[in-house]
Amino acid sequence: MAVKFFGQYLVEKGVVSREAIVEAIALQEKQNLKLGEMAVSMGLVTSADIERAHQSQLSRDMKLGDLLVATGTLTEGQLADVVARQQATHLYIGEALIKVGALDQEKLARQLEAFKLDQAPYVADGIALPVKVADAPLWEMTVDLTYKLVTRVLGLRFRPGACQVVSQLPASHQTAALDFAGDASARYLIAVSEPVQKKVAQALLHAAVVDHEPVEVLEDCLLEFINVVCGNVAAKASQDGFTLTINPPVTVPAPAAGLPLAAGEVGLCFPIHLEDGHQMELYLVLPK
Amino acid sequence: MPKKVLVVDDSLVVARQLEQIIGGSGDFCCIGSVRNGAEAIKANQQDNPDIICMDMNMPGMDGLTALRSIVALDKEVKVVMVTSLGGVSDNFNEAMKLGARCVISKPFVAEDILGALRAL
Repeated sequence: MAVKFFGQYLVEKGVVSREAIVEAIALQEKQNLKLGEMAVSMGLVTSADIERAHQSQLSRDMKLGDLLVATGTLTEGQLADVVARQQATHLYIGEALIKVGALDQEKLARQLEAFKLDQAPYVADGIALPVKVADAPLWEMTVDLTYKLVTRVLGLRFRPGACQVVSQLPASHQTAALDFAGDASARYLIAVSEPVQKKVAQALLHAAVVDHEPVEVLEDCLLEFINVVCGNVAAKASQDGFTLTINPPVTVPAPAAGLPLAAGEVGLCFPIHLEDGHQMELYLVLPK
Repeated sequence: MPKKVLVVDDSLVVARQLEQIIGGSGDFCCIGSVRNGAEAIKANQQDNPDIICMDMNMPGMDGLTALRSIVALDKEVKVVMVTSLGGVSDNFNEAMKLGARCVISKPFVAEDILGALRAL
């Protein structure tokens, strides 16, 4: 029922054992060289160059490859060669499981088909952002996955509204926020009215009535929902080679006048119109 | 005799969901829930559960850090990670290498949890 990694799916289904997957991961780690290691193995740079670049990364927000090009350590062509070699020699988990004798080709093909079917609900539909931002496909996927999980986890029917650019976040009954960091950064927020907060709680608690629940439980339901969405976003991003980390979600106290965005930030609002006339809002606050 | 399960999750809602699923199964009994990794280490020593169902992303000590300590101190307990980050390959790989028995992604249904616990 969630975005999964193929190896995780195989263990969960009992197709391979824990011991086999650990052996296959070890084989992957031995064979799948990181960018710096690959560049060294191809004789293009030295280990000292990579060490220096890693030190520079502590003060410069750049990926290793970009930094090596920016400092003249690698040419753009050499970087492309390193990345191409990484891709050509990459050992996928399924192949690694064959090498350790836990799967054969036929079983792998069958399981990959089953995995695709399992993950079909999470194949992205087209969503376009109205402004130019860095890593736009990643944030489009984030919005798309939010819509899918509103349906699958909350069981709510809705119509997505047109995305609007906003300069502040309006006050709401509860606004839950979670920060993405890593290869890309953003603040993810969902704002709800009191009736919608209760709908979220009804879905997560599997209860028809939640009026007697303490405020902290009602708030926790929305926090857990965005935790699930953002964890699944991180999982899907990792399939595309993006490393995203997430912090535990928090409720953001919004003053009646709203929360202004900082200079250098752009706010995107995606209204989610529920079929009973209520509305919730997804906000993405991104660096300009 | 039902196997004793400890739940570790900072979310009250998830802890409640897991307690209901585990408690209603007949095969397992939930001996309680704690809200971060440090509390999990303490509860494992005090209550000696057979199984721990633990989140990864928690304030204070996270689940992977706690997993490392728990399996180092206790070779018997079986740890199942239940996390929204289960589909992130790096997290999955790290959890399995550290000694988790499996990784269940959120959102989950009762069958995901009970299937994993029964397979241990």
